[in-house]
Parts: sequence; C-alpha cells; structure tokens
Amino acid sequence: MNRLLGFRARADGSARRAPFAFAALGVAFFAFAPAARAYPEFQAQIAKGAGRPVNCALCHANPDGPDGASYGQIGRLNPEEMERLNRARKAIEPGAEVNSPILNEFGNELVRSLGMRRLLELKLNPAALPDAIDPKSDMDRDGIPDAEELRDATHPLKKEDGRPWRLFTHNVRKNLWTIFLAAVATAAGLYGLAQLLQGFARAARAAHGEEDSSDRE
Amino acid sequence: MSLVSVVKRAVEYVAERFPVEKLNYHAMVEKKEVPVHRLSWGYYLGGAALFFLCVQIVTGLMLLFYYQPTVSDAHASVEFISEHVHGGALIRNMHAWGSSMMIACVIAHLLTAFAMKAFEKPREITWVTGVGLLFLTFGFGFTGYLLPWHQIAVNATKIGLQSIEQVGQYLPGQMAQWPRAIRETIQGEATVGQATLSRFYAIHVIVLPFALAGLLGIHLLAVQLHGMSRGVDEPARRREKFFPIFIIKDFSVWGVAFFVLFVLALCLPFESFYSYPLFEAYDPNGSTPDGIKPEWYFYFVYYPLELLPFGVILVASGLAAVLLLLAPWIFRGTSRKTLRILAFAGAAYFLGMTLFGERIYHFFKGGAP
Amino acid sequence: MIDSFLLVGLPYLAITVCVVGTFWRWKTQAFTWSSLSSQFLEARQLRWGSMPWHLGILLVLLGHLVALALPRVWGSLMTYPTLLVITETVGLGAGAMALVGIVVLAFRRLTSGRVQAVTTTMDLVVLALLFFQSLLGVLTALLHRWGAAWSTATVVPYFWSILLLRPDPSLVADLPPIVKAHLVGAWLVLLAVPFSRLVHVLALPLSYLWRAPQIVIWSGSRRARMQAKDLAVAESRREFLKGAAGVAVAGTLLSAGVLDKLVRFFQGPKISGEMETVLLAKRLRHLQMTAEEQALQLERQKNDRILIGRLSELSATKGKYFIDFHMAPALAFLGANGLPLLISAKCTHLGCTVGGDVDAQGQILCPCHISYFKITTGEPNPGAPAKTPLPHLEWAVVDAAGKTLAQRTAGGAIEGSLAGVPPEACQVYVCRPSPEGAS
Repeated sequence: MNRLLGFRARADGSARRAPFAFAALGVAFFAFAPAARAYPEFQAQIAKGAGRPVNCALCHANPDGPDGASYGQIGRLNPEEMERLNRARKAIEPGAEVNSPILNEFGNELVRSLGMRRLLELKLNPAALPDAIDPKSDMDRDGIPDAEELRDATHPLKKEDGRPWRLFTHNVRKNLWTIFLAAVATAAGLYGLAQLLQGFARAARAAHGEEDSSDRE
Repeated sequence: MSLVSVVKRAVEYVAERFPVEKLNYHAMVEKKEVPVHRLSWGYYLGGAALFFLCVQIVTGLMLLFYYQPTVSDAHASVEFISEHVHGGALIRNMHAWGSSMMIACVIAHLLTAFAMKAFEKPREITWVTGVGLLFLTFGFGFTGYLLPWHQIAVNATKIGLQSIEQVGQYLPGQMAQWPRAIRETIQGEATVGQATLSRFYAIHVIVLPFALAGLLGIHLLAVQLHGMSRGVDEPARRREKFFPIFIIKDFSVWGVAFFVLFVLALCLPFESFYSYPLFEAYDPNGSTPDGIKPEWYFYFVYYPLELLPFGVILVASGLAAVLLLLAPWIFRGTSRKTLRILAFAGAAYFLGMTLFGERIYHFFKGGAP
Repeated sequence: MIDSFLLVGLPYLAITVCVVGTFWRWKTQAFTWSSLSSQFLEARQLRWGSMPWHLGILLVLLGHLVALALPRVWGSLMTYPTLLVITETVGLGAGAMALVGIVVLAFRRLTSGRVQAVTTTMDLVVLALLFFQSLLGVLTALLHRWGAAWSTATVVPYFWSILLLRPDPSLVADLPPIVKAHLVGAWLVLLAVPFSRLVHVLALPLSYLWRAPQIVIWSGSRRARMQAKDLAVAESRREFLKGAAGVAVAGTLLSAGVLDKLVRFFQGPKISGEMETVLLAKRLRHLQMTAEEQALQLERQKNDRILIGRLSELSATKGKYFIDFHMAPALAFLGANGLPLLISAKCTHLGCTVGGDVDAQGQILCPCHISYFKITTGEPNPGAPAKTPLPHLEWAVVDAAGKTLAQRTAGGAIEGSLAGVPPEACQVYVCRPSPEGAS
C-alpha cells in the first residue's frame, strides 16, 4: 500500500512528541538523557525505499521513539531498566548480551548481532542496513527474512505484516495440506449435499406420483 | 374515499406483495422455477451474501467470547485472540475477509437486481428491504471497524463522524448546531472514547443484528413467495427447477465461497495491506500515524468527499439514497436495457473509485501517488 | 501349544483352504457364487439389518485393510492424536453399526418363517461367526483402546510374518484374550469363505454403490405397475446413500480439521508463565494509559490553570505538545514578543493532530489532508481542506513566587509583561477558556 493522500513519511517522527503526561502531571522525570537518540536515518531510508510509512516501533518499544515519559521511553525507566539501557549502550562490539528496555526484540537483536559501533557506521549509509543483518534470520517466522522485511518496510516481529503476495505464497505453501483437505471436504460435502437433495426430490416426486396414481384408481 | 375503502386498498396492496397463499410446499418447492438467461448468475449473489452473513454470525459469536469492549482492553484482547487463542487468528481473519466479501456481494446483488428490474411490481417491498439491508451492512462495517481500537480504526471513525458535523454549515440559524449534537449523541461524549466504543459495540452486536434479522426475514419471505424475477425482457428460453437444480447450484456457490474465504483467511492476513503503525493500539496522546482512511467499501464516498466541496457530496448522496429507495416507482417505466446501462455505470463508478480513487485524488490534488 | 496352532497352524490352514476352496468353487459351482438374496421373502427387516451391517463392516474392513497393507503410512498417521481419536471413533461407530445390523439379520433369519425355509446350517454358522467376530471387535475397541495405534507394532507385523512365511506368533502372544480371540475369529471367517455365502465378498460388489438398482419383484400385473415407482425410490435411496457418504467424508474431514481447534478455541490458550507476565505487563500498561488520560481529565475539571512548563523550554520553531482543556492536543511556541503562543493542534478540518514543526513560512502542517496553519494567526492556507483557523488558547506566565506576570485574556489581549524576570524562572500555564470562548 502506498502512502495515502500525500502523507509525509515523517523521518523525524521519533522524538517529536513530547510527553503530555509529563507536562501535565508535573512529575519531574530525569528525561531527555542527551545520549538517547533514536535513529531516524534508518526510519527515513526504510520508508523511502518501500514507499510504506514506518514508525519507531520497528526497533523501539514505543512507536514514538525512546524520548519521553510514556511506556518504553526513557522518562519512565526504573533504576533496573536504566541499568539495562546503559549496558546496551556499552555494547560496542557484536555478541554482547543486550536487553534494552527501550528497544523491542528486533532492536535488541540488531544491537546484539551488529554492535553499536557498526550501527553508528551504518547510520551514515542507512541503505546498507538490510545487507548487514543475517539474511536467514526471520524473527516472526512469516516466511520473509528480516532483511527483506526491512527493505519492504514491514515489521520483522509481526507475522501478519508483510508484502501481501509474499505472505500469501508462503502461507499457502505452509498450509498446503490443510488447504487440500479443505478442498476435498468442500467437494465431498457439496457432492453429498447435491445427491441428498436430488434423492429427496426424486423420492418426493415418486411419493407424489403414488398419490396421483391412487387418485386415479 | 371512505376509511373502509382505504383499509381495503391497503390490505389488497399488502396481499399482492405477500401472496401468502403461495406459502406451501407445492408452490415453493415443487412448482418453482428459475429462468435461465445470460444474467442468471445474478441470481446467486443474494445467496452468497446470505452465506457470508452466516459466516459473520458464527465467527462474530466466537470472537465475542474473548473480545473486551473497553478502551484499555479492546486492542489487547484482539491481539490476544490473534496471537494466543487456538485458531483465533483464523477466526478473526475470516471475520475481516468475510465482512469485505459480504459487502462486495451485497453491492453486486444490488446492481444486478437493479439491472434485472427485480423491483418491478409486485416486488417493491423486496427491493426496499434490500436497500435497507444494504445500509445495515454498511452500518455493520462502520461500527465493527472501530472495535479493535487500533489507530486506523479510531482515527477513521473520528473522521467519519466529523463529516456529520460538517452538515451544520449548510443549515440555517439554530439548526446549524444540530449535526454537532447528533454526532456527540452517537459518540456519547465530546470525542471518540469509551462511550463511543460501548455504543458501537452494542450497535454492532445487538442492535444491527436484530434489525437485520427483521428486514432479512421480510426480504427472504418476499423473495421466496414471488420467486425469481424474469430478469430480461425477452421470454426465457429455458427454465430450471428451483428444487433441486437451482438450490444445488446455489450451495455449490456457497461451497466455493467458503473455500475461497477459508484459503484467504488462512494465508493472507487482512492487515498486511496496510502499514503496521495503523494497527497499534490507539493512543490518545500519541501521534497519528500516516495513512488513515476508511475501509475500501467507503472509498466511493470518501474520495469524492476529499475532492469536492462537502455540500456537493451531501446533495449527491442524499439524491442517491432517495433514488435507491424509490427506484421501484421512479424507474417503473424504464426498459431493462436502460437499467442495465445505469447499473453498469454505477458499477464502473464504484469500481473506479475503489481501485483508482487514490490515483484520481492525486491527479487532481497533486502529491505522490 | 494351542496358541501356536491357533496363531500359526490355523492361519495357514485358513489361507490354503480359502484359496483352494474358492478356486474349486469358481471352477465347479460358479453359479452358486452369490449372497443368495432373500429380499423378496422379507424386505423390511432386511433393510434395517443389511444396510447398517454392510456399511459398518465395509468401513471397518477398509480400516483394517489399509492398516495391514500400508503399515508405515498408517503408523505415521496414527501419531497425530486428533487423527487417532477420529479413527477410533469412526471405527467404533462403524463396528457398533455392523453389530446392530448383524443382530437384526440374525433375528430375522431366526424368526421369519419364509427366510427360515431357505436357511442352511452353514448360514447359521456364518451368522454366529460374524456376530462373535463383530462383538469381539467392538469389545476390543472399547476395552483396549487405541488399537489403531498399538496394532501397528503387534498385529500388523504378525500378519506380515504369516504372509512372508516367517510366522512369528510371539508378536501377538501377549495380547489380551479378547484380541487374540478376534484374531482367531478372523482366520475362522476366512476358512468359511469358500463354503458359504461369504464368497460374495470376493466379488467385491462395490459397484452396488454406483450401478443402477436391480429390484427383485414379483411378476404380476398389479405389482408391475408399481415398478416405475419402485425404481425411482431405489434410485433416490442410492442417491441418499451417496449423499450420506459424501457428507460423511466431508464431516469427517471437517471434524478432523475443525473440531479440535474449536474445542481448543473455547478451552482458551495454555499460556506459559513467561507469556503471562508479558500479557499482564501489557494490560497494566494499557490500564495506566487510561488512568493517565483520566487523571488529565480530572486535573482539568479541578483546576483553572494547567502547567505546561518553563518559558525557557519553549521554542519558536518546534512546538511543545500538551493537552488543552478540551482534552485535545495543543502546541506551545515561543512568540516573537518573548511571550508564549498557545495554539490548538486539533485540525479544524477533521480533527487530526497537527504537526509541531514550524516551516520557513511560519506554518505548521496537518498531515492528514495537508492543511498549513500560520501559527501567529491560526489561519489555514488558501485552498486548504480546513476552512477555519486553529484557535489560540489563553495562557498565563507566573513567576517563582506565584505572581502572574503576564496573561492572554479571552479577548486575545495580552496584559502585563515579563518585567525582566528571566524565562528560566517563569512557568507557563494554559488557562481554562472563559465561557464566552472568544479567542
């Protein structure tokens, strides 16, 4: 699906929305840690490449990115989560155990497999991100590898999200046996029903004929 | 004219529309025949719509077991159905695809019935109840769309309801406030929120089904009493038995419809046609994602609404509704050939707007398609 | 000793006798190759006996035959619990149907005088054999369940060991007596084939299902007139039979595919503890969001002013979102005069949230249908879908001591000034719109 009605793919959609709750409740969170930046370069590139809008929830916990005080945003982390966030930030090299509270599983997997250094390099050339990740990895097991999902701007963690035709062919292949059985069941049921109705009609006619003949007698 | 003669004429009128003396086995099963001609395929569309209605009822009932109509839980419960309940994704997807297919069948049924002049005397009641059923079906689509409480649902509903308020600008004086009051009555509060969800839920699950059952009962009774309309001007070359020949074919159509629906629901998630941010839980304080629009079956009013002044659309849709409801009397003398051309034009418009509405919009308004 | 006779000797005896005897009968008495119909002697009971018996036994035999002939395919299929349950259920149902049928047939043969007249001793022997065999089969299914699965490792290899002339009775030696009796019964039935009406089995009269019906009728004037009607009835019966078969196949397949899913749909999911945690967290999050929303609402009910933030946090180019008194989003900017500029962010067209970034022309954009609004006036650009301007909101700037330094009143007039107080020390509030709402 294309973007509709000239909707702009908002590249910087991430940090745009300040937390209303924050302002209104007047709670002084220690928000807006300067090092916390979403990576709008990737988002812009992915949306542009596929012509399908994406938001920060591709890799982040919150669709509006990590800045703010809503769930999955830095303003709401407790000390333990803050600890995990800092550990994730220090994962310069690939292979570190990463479980950042502001990222979703895919985002964490990116940091784990690529490392922060590589990610920062890729920021300069965001189009190369899909090529950098494992071409076989398919986290939602919808038949479309994560790299392809990034190129298509579909979500690597949502199995109902993908290019429709690719999802369809994959699912047909996966469910071939079920579909075959459903076809057989439908055909057999229709055949049986048709025979039953025909039999009923014939029997009814015969019964009717009997009445007629008895009338005549 | 005396009161007695008025009552007598009314009774005659109804008796002619509902010839209940035909309500017997002999007339409805043994003698009934269906004309065979080049538009015969149109006779199956109503049955197909009925089949999809049955699918909607069954799958809808199953979804009711898990769905929770509150703003804090609705989205989560829908997600729970899709991800955790066994067969839940299939049931939900069948409900989604089934609704689209039902609406497609209903619209096609309307157009073919129009082209065949199936509203001719004594079938006026059948036609009017059919138009009523069409509106009810759209009502189902509109109210059901909100229930998952995701971004596209809530925002599209907001836009849809907002357009009611726009009527206000054309009304004089105090009346200008009425549409706003109507909208807020439908919503139940100033914005689309819990009250709206509760109302739409009640309407979708209780009110509309009962209304539909009533209208459908009349519609089906009338159809069964009168049998199929002749459909074409020239006398039919051949007629086939309604029972069992036609009904077997009808069931075959149902079987094929079931199979297609099953495969689609199993293999192609309805959501995959839209970008995923539209299906995140609605967040009143978050940003609105790109690409909010109504379901495809509302494109034929949505895109014109975007392109033309609201007043034009208001007048046009009012005219269309009147035209539809009064078709049996307006087109009483029109030939079937003309009706076919009109129906074809209607179909072309609907298809054009549904398939190319977006491109047409950008052609006139600019912007990337 | 007796075991090895019954499980090895008897089978070979039965097979040999069956093959040789059948061949002999075919050569010498081909004309007796018949099930010896007695339909014209007694028809009503026959229908209620013969039909369930033949349908049931055919289904059961088919199951036995597939299991014996394709052990590997059958074995792998029976590893699916659903399929196993369905097979067992269908098998038990068919067996019970056959048992009922054979009882009716036996009753008929023992009570109807006309049928008695043509009944031979062999018929009675066969009847008894089949009755006990069916009874044993049903008992096996009832008492030693999941035979469709366990037989693949016992009876099937035993059967093949007999066929391949490497008899191995130990495979079935430990089976329960009922099952062994059923096995022995099978060989006995086989033994009886060439000497009885059972031989008609070998004619494989499957075409009964398809061929046009043959009606056995009396010749005679009155009855002959009914012939056409009888034909129609028989034809319709055959259609009913085919219909029932089709519906049964569809029903079986559908129940195989649907029933377990349906049951599990209503059972509800079995969720791991970990998943439960995730779901609960999500639910809590949604509830918290709802609670926050309601807290905002309550706050707006109770107070006449709501804090947005410090004046120094506002920017001229990037709006700060907050929720206004209508519970709609709004934006706070820094105006050219150094004072706040508060404007509703709910698009006047269809209510989308307007973006917070100010472009070079001093406009903000509603992304839904592309309306640009000038923030200084709120006016939409000419030709925009939105026709009415975004309203400005009343605000107040308060210093650290709580004294109102400046405010925008309902009329749009600005009263007071910062009077040299640094913006870091100034708090910006949005004020409840006055009832006149002139802004």
